[in-house]
Amino acid sequence: MEKDLQIVGFRIGNETYGVRIGAVREIVRVPEITAVPSAPDTVEGVINLRGKIIPVMDLRKRFGHTEISSDKKNRILVVELDNKLLGLIVNSASEVLKIPPSEIEPPGSVFADGESGYVTGVGKLKGRLIILLDISKLLHRPELKRLEEAAETVATAK
Amino acid sequence: MSKSPEDRNPELRAIFFESANELLQSLNEAGLELEAHPADEEVIRRVRRAVHTLKGDSAACGFHKLGELAHELEDILTPQVAQQHGARFAEVVLAAADSFEAMLSSYQRGKKLPSLEKLHGLIRGLLVDTAAPAPAGGILETPAAVPANFAWTEYEQLMISEAVHRGEKVYNVALRIDPDSLMRAAAFQLIRNVLHGCGTLIALRPEDSLTAANVEIVEAALASVQPEEAINKRCRIPSIVSDVRVERATSAQTPDHELLGDLLDAQAAQVVANAAEHVEAADAAKAGQAASAVATVAESTLRVEANRIDAVMNLVGELIIGKSMLHRALTEFDQRHARDPVRAKLAEALGFQSRVLDELHKCVLKIRMVPVEQLFRRFPRVVRDVAKQCGKDVALDIAGQHTDLDKSILDALGEPLMHLVRNAVDHGIEPAEERLTAGKPARGTVYLNAYHQGTQVVIEVRDDGRGIDPAHVRQQAVRQGIVKAEEAARLTDQEALNLIFESGFSTAAEVTEVSGRGVGMDVVRSVLDKLKGTVHISTQKARGTTFQLRAPLTLASIQALLFRVGGRLFAVPLSSVVEISRIHEQEVHRVDQREVLRLRDQILTLVRLEHLSRLRSIDTEPAKKKHFVIVIGAAEKRFGLVVDSMVGEEELVIKALPTDIVTSDLVSGASILGDGTVVLILNVPAVLSRLSRAVPLGAIA
Repeated sequence: MEKDLQIVGFRIGNETYGVRIGAVREIVRVPEITAVPSAPDTVEGVINLRGKIIPVMDLRKRFGHTEISSDKKNRILVVELDNKLLGLIVNSASEVLKIPPSEIEPPGSVFADGESGYVTGVGKLKGRLIILLDISKLLHRPELKRLEEAAETVATAK
Repeated sequence: MSKSPEDRNPELRAIFFESANELLQSLNEAGLELEAHPADEEVIRRVRRAVHTLKGDSAACGFHKLGELAHELEDILTPQVAQQHGARFAEVVLAAADSFEAMLSSYQRGKKLPSLEKLHGLIRGLLVDTAAPAPAGGILETPAAVPANFAWTEYEQLMISEAVHRGEKVYNVALRIDPDSLMRAAAFQLIRNVLHGCGTLIALRPEDSLTAANVEIVEAALASVQPEEAINKRCRIPSIVSDVRVERATSAQTPDHELLGDLLDAQAAQVVANAAEHVEAADAAKAGQAASAVATVAESTLRVEANRIDAVMNLVGELIIGKSMLHRALTEFDQRHARDPVRAKLAEALGFQSRVLDELHKCVLKIRMVPVEQLFRRFPRVVRDVAKQCGKDVALDIAGQHTDLDKSILDALGEPLMHLVRNAVDHGIEPAEERLTAGKPARGTVYLNAYHQGTQVVIEVRDDGRGIDPAHVRQQAVRQGIVKAEEAARLTDQEALNLIFESGFSTAAEVTEVSGRGVGMDVVRSVLDKLKGTVHISTQKARGTTFQLRAPLTLASIQALLFRVGGRLFAVPLSSVVEISRIHEQEVHRVDQREVLRLRDQILTLVRLEHLSRLRSIDTEPAKKKHFVIVIGAAEKRFGLVVDSMVGEEELVIKALPTDIVTSDLVSGASILGDGTVVLILNVPAVLSRLSRAVPLGAIA
């Protein structure tokens, strides 16, 4: 019998998403975020994670939500990308969920096109649907490219 | 002995590369001296010593090609050849240094060895013309008797006599380790291997390589079937063993001699006795003593990987953050329990701790400090080469080489300095005729100087050349589309000079007119910007140009001034703060879409951070009528930063921002305060460059 997939579930808007537990370093409350002047829009700022300064992005903006309210349930998922830590703000984060492999379906026709390559599957748990994500694909796509371009234009402008 | 270089102890190789680089440096220096004073015997001797040591050390590490080349050179680098060829001799020495360097770097990177055709050509050139080659052997190989006492222990004597009784031939062998060999321990290993190869090693002095570092004579008792001459021959490892004495040992008599002290006396006496023929031998002995003195000094130095020091540095940084956390806690405690007797104890303990921490911080910083000489000493060669290429006569005058600064800053400054020095020789110094008509000495001089000023290190590159003409710079910059003509006209001379740091200013083809600085000058400024340093030009027509580079002594922490804008906390390096002033909103004037302030009859451009970036204010209080203005100066430019409130001065431990995601040129770094707050450090050069881009400030808001 195959092992259950262990995921960290989190909510953005009304949806529940999940990422593999190995992809998440830790989950922290949202501390005071220091905004960085002239930084790209996608970057909310930087936070102090036990003496390390790490950048924070808002995943809700990434998913196109415009009305963003902050409340006590908001959390930051700390993920590692290219050996660097990065914080992602989500509405709320759940505890670890276990989904049996039989309950996971491939992305299917809804997410088939290339743009959404970061959806790795849809899991069912107690009647809920959980969209499973590949964080590195999600972040490597438009944001990072845009950031790289921004960095290049800055570099060439100098 | 057939191991490939890769199999050998990597530590040994690391030491070899390190010491080889020092040897190359001394070769380069000696080459330059020989150019000035050809056939200076003392210098030639130094060259030979360096080449000789290189030969031995490279052989010990298995770099045979290098060893062979060194051997070849050693044969021709004699005073006789030098006398015959003068300047060409120096040429060979310098070319040899280059070839060695190329070979070393190939070995280090595991690449193919470079071609040595050119050097071989030069060597052959010397050899062909040398009718009577120098007497074979050279000065260092002059044989001298090897003093030895073969004082074996009772047990060893027993072993020897048993071997003799068995009918084996037992030899007492004494070898003198070459006084020029820097790696005595390695030499000892090698000798031991060779002895093992000759037969059965019964006894050995010293017994292991640990004690071999300062030993000159190795003694051994060897049972072997080989004849005496064969052993003698095998033991003569070139440039490791300078002398060998092999004698048959008999069971009955074991020479029962004096102690080592007497032995050395005997050696000295011998040297004196043979003085007539062996002057050089005495020299070699002296060199040997010097080498062992160096060895003793070297033992108290440690080679430590830089990242280990960085780790300590980081931890000290955390401790400093911890210190300010404690201070905050104590302040709070003060307010609540002002009369508590524990308070004084706490304060005392804290005071003690912070004093120790300061010391610790300074000590760790000192570990990273290296004298600027490490950087300067490559320039004599650079100046010579560039001057030769341009057909000029240029001297280099170096001062302040003992000034210390952080290793990483030193490394970063290498390239900018190289550009500046090359430019000074290439473009700053005029050709000799021009200098003579201008009433200057034909020989130009480039000055390198370094000194500390406050928490900064200043490095100056000065030449006594033709100077830079700001008018020419303006023309050139307009022609190259860096500034518009009307802008150029508005610039002060100093601002015009700074145009040479713009990227794209003046390419090599167009330089000649503008005394052509500009090749790679943007590199100079971008490096200094990165280091939070500045570069300043001062020039006087026909008198010369000075480039003054200022960099912080260390990159790990800065004294900073903290302030708030729109409720957000920022910091600027205290070193760039000129003064702080209090102003009323009415005092601000608008000129040419810029906000300016009249401060003691000087017009100061004002900068509002909230205008420069799209930061929205998180301050709930209504806008105040009174502000602080921090006057910030970088290079010769000044501007006033309008801030809402001052927070204070604090020592910040700089943490790098994750730049690949947070790309912001306005911020050069961040730090964490005692209460965990993140504070961003303003990048002063970036603010300045935004100002000079002449965008109306209000337009961005």
